[in-house]
Amino acid sequence: MLDLSPPVIETIALNWPETSAGGVLGDGRSASATDRPSSLEELCEIVARRVGEGHALYPQGGATALDYGGIPRRPGVAIDLRGLARVVDYPAADMTITIEAGMTLAALQKTLGEQGQRLTLEAPLADRATLGGIFATNASGPRRFGLGRPRDQIIGIRYVDGEGRAIKGGGRVVKNVAGYDLPKLLTGSMGTLGIIAELTLKVRPKPEASALAWVRFRRLADAAQALDRLNTSGTRPVALELLNAPTARKVGGGAGLPVEEWVLVVGFEDNAASVAWQLDRLTLELGRTDLVFLKDNDSAPLWSALVDSQADEDAPLTFAANLKPSAALVFLGSIDAARWAIQTHAGNGIVRGHFQDEANFEEIAPEVDRLRAEAVRLGGSLTLPRCPTGWKDRLKVWGNPRADWAIAEKVKKALDPRGVLNPGRFVGVI
Amino acid sequence: MPATTTLPTRLASELSSIVGPENLLAHRDERLVYECDGFVIEKNVPDLVVFPTSTEQVVGVVKACGRAGVPFVPRGAGTSLAGGTLAVGGGVMICLTRMKRILEVNARDRYAVVEPGVVNVWLTRALAGSGFHYAPDPSSQGACTIGGNVATNSGGPHTLKYGVTVNHVLGVELVLPDGSVVQAGGPEEDHPGYDLTGLIVGHEGTFGIVTKVTVDLTRDPEAGRTFLGVFETVEAATEAVSGIIAAGIVPAALEMLDNPMIRAVEAAFRFGFPTEAGAVLIIETDGLDAGLEREAQSIASIVRSNGGSVAKAITWRTRKEPEYMAIWKARKSAFGAIGRLSPTFCTQDGVVPRTKLPHILRFITAVGERHDIRIANVFHAGDGNIHPILLFDERDPDQVRRVLEASHEILEECINVGGSVTGEHGIGVEKMSFMPRLFSPADLAAMVALRTAFNPAGLCSPDKMIPGGAGCIERKSPGHKASA
Ligand SMILES: Cc1cc2nc3c(=O)[nH]c(=O)nc-3n(C[C@H](O)[C@H](O)[C@H](O)COP(=O)(O)OP(=O)(O)OC[C@H]3O[C@@H](n4cnc5c(N)ncnc54)[C@H](O)[C@@H]3O)c2cc1C
Repeated sequence: MLDLSPPVIETIALNWPETSAGGVLGDGRSASATDRPSSLEELCEIVARRVGEGHALYPQGGATALDYGGIPRRPGVAIDLRGLARVVDYPAADMTITIEAGMTLAALQKTLGEQGQRLTLEAPLADRATLGGIFATNASGPRRFGLGRPRDQIIGIRYVDGEGRAIKGGGRVVKNVAGYDLPKLLTGSMGTLGIIAELTLKVRPKPEASALAWVRFRRLADAAQALDRLNTSGTRPVALELLNAPTARKVGGGAGLPVEEWVLVVGFEDNAASVAWQLDRLTLELGRTDLVFLKDNDSAPLWSALVDSQADEDAPLTFAANLKPSAALVFLGSIDAARWAIQTHAGNGIVRGHFQDEANFEEIAPEVDRLRAEAVRLGGSLTLPRCPTGWKDRLKVWGNPRADWAIAEKVKKALDPRGVLNPGRFVGVI
Repeated sequence: MPATTTLPTRLASELSSIVGPENLLAHRDERLVYECDGFVIEKNVPDLVVFPTSTEQVVGVVKACGRAGVPFVPRGAGTSLAGGTLAVGGGVMICLTRMKRILEVNARDRYAVVEPGVVNVWLTRALAGSGFHYAPDPSSQGACTIGGNVATNSGGPHTLKYGVTVNHVLGVELVLPDGSVVQAGGPEEDHPGYDLTGLIVGHEGTFGIVTKVTVDLTRDPEAGRTFLGVFETVEAATEAVSGIIAAGIVPAALEMLDNPMIRAVEAAFRFGFPTEAGAVLIIETDGLDAGLEREAQSIASIVRSNGGSVAKAITWRTRKEPEYMAIWKARKSAFGAIGRLSPTFCTQDGVVPRTKLPHILRFITAVGERHDIRIANVFHAGDGNIHPILLFDERDPDQVRRVLEASHEILEECINVGGSVTGEHGIGVEKMSFMPRLFSPADLAAMVALRTAFNPAGLCSPDKMIPGGAGCIERKSPGHKASA
């Protein structure tokens, strides 16, 4: 039988460093030091040593989302994964790739592009965001509607646990049910169960053609009706983004796209004949003559803008509500569209709002409470991907406690019994 | 702690009062059919079989078992090919087949909520005409339950394009072995917290009892093309598979049958398969009609350039068209057809990288010859998921031994070329001995720790899937007890 009990180590009380000379952890907390492993072995060795010294561990990738989640609870070291950025294995004919977690999304797409393939996953700031960070935070973009979420792309993982052991789950083949699905569990776990070191992902051929249709509406009700209609459309959109005017101006302004109160962006990808047919068909189904189409290379800037706009670096506060798609449309009706820049993955029911004014706590706190109550009433949750550190406890970045967090805490105890991985970052007491 | 084989009588009457006497089997001759599932090499009769009809009853049953310290094992339709439902050490079998309601279908928000005993194809039927379908369609879909599919993360012929069960499950209700009820996920995506749904799918009944499942619904394709490609050799057919993938085409299905399988299917169904062919490929593309023609032409030319011919090309609008149904009936009934060739068979479920298919198929042929075991192949070629079917007579102990050895060698080779020992059927009891070959002691310790988080006393389906940990009954090998 395997011994599961962690070795006993003296817990050394450490203080928060007074300067950021050792690096930053996020939320204004400084790291005691930043370690930069350049191999899996080195990562294991660092983890074992640092934990032995009494530190908590805060893994970092491209540092694009360091303030995401709860406030770091214990002093500790930052572990910068960007030194682990190699392609481990890329059998293109098998449509899989194994990479180290510190590789950026942009670098990965470049490697895949050389073989006419791509990962069907998007994340803001792709030239900085690492795959480890993207999977840890469960990031995605507009194409998730047609092409899936991070959990749909991952088939294998290697992570380092809080004892410095490399643990593997899944494998390198596209179908595999041997063992529990650790790749899925680690996806979206916010670095609290293990430090992701290596990922095996499914990849796809690049589509021959790509297009975006820009559809304007005066009234939310009309946009909602169009979306109801599109649910059984003859077309098969891969993206359905509903934007209010502030977001539409931001993503479409550069291209000079006309803006109204609401804009629906419909994305298509397939072979050229299919995409051309779908654009015609969309015009017919919506009964409109004023659709703007952006095709192939001309659509690329808007696709990227729709991804990057998910992370509005200027907004003081951002919420994300997750709802049934039809409920998301109801929810939109309760938002003050003048003060929030709104972007909705309308096919998935994910609504993001970036506050557009100066942030004033007295004003914003009741507004967040109200929106959260509405999201909960409609069956969903409301989290705060972006929130000033001082407001986090009061505004509950992860929303109201959910019943399944009790078992989540047991899962955390099972995989990180000493609680050294990203303490404070995630839900409940995790 | 070896489990008891005789149940305390108090437990039997307690369970009877929970589920009602009509939902309980106590007599040995009634329980006998539950001694095994689709994996017939190992058998053990459960001490009691119950058929709860609600989540509350499941809660009552597991609590009573917990108090009595008696192990229990969930079972759906019992089509597992890995012995997942085997009542190792006896105990109570909890059959979910009477929890069989489709609770909700919501086409606007693209999900359905079902009880675990709903048979996979019932949902497909219920959705007919709605423009949506439930994508996972294991070959056993006429019998297997969605609860069983969730527990084993089932695949099927259409996973290449559409993914496996876990890609289509949004949420589950799970009764933990202590009787508490967990709601993981739901119709909304991205609930804050761990993706417990993703972890629970594929747990093979070792975390608890799934009592409700929320699945996503997929738009029906507008049209499709299904081809029957005929090849002189298995090699040529696998080359065509690689060629199709390399051309950037992601077919909805890419299924292969080798010559022994073709003959068996033809003898049973007279579908019109060429019995002299070395291999046939069922190649299917689907999507929007406007985009299919060119893809169809590329596929036909790839088949030909690899020395094959297109014996049938079916253009379809719905999956209900007779010609379409005929070809898939032939494919999905392949296991049934094997029954004519041999009294017993054992299906393996290895996976190799797609590019290693020619190698593994040559290897299988050689293994069959060396052990003097007939092997037929029908499999998900597009996924590299092989299903060698080893034919034998279970009354002959020497044949049983040779089949086990041959199976072992094939699966070892799958591991050697970077694959896995199971793509969709699960580890069950059958393949537990391979787990230490695929995973390190630390990997397995992490999995045991996870199981312990859900199932601390180890009473729920002991001795399955992950070797080691609490509730471990000493087993010398993945035991192969004779039928009782
Ligand atoms: C002819 C044939 C063809 C097949 N084709 C395929 C195929 O194409 N793809 C594929 O993936 N599989 C295939 N299988 C294997 C099998 O059908 C699947 O594994 C199926 O999902 C099992 O469903 P079931 O309802 O029969 O489950 P069972 O066999 O009853 O149980 C399977 C496992 O799930 C657990 N379980 C069942 N219900 C629950 C529940 N409610 N809660 C918790 N645990 C539960 C059991 O304990 C067991 O470990 C095939 C089998 C046969 C016989």
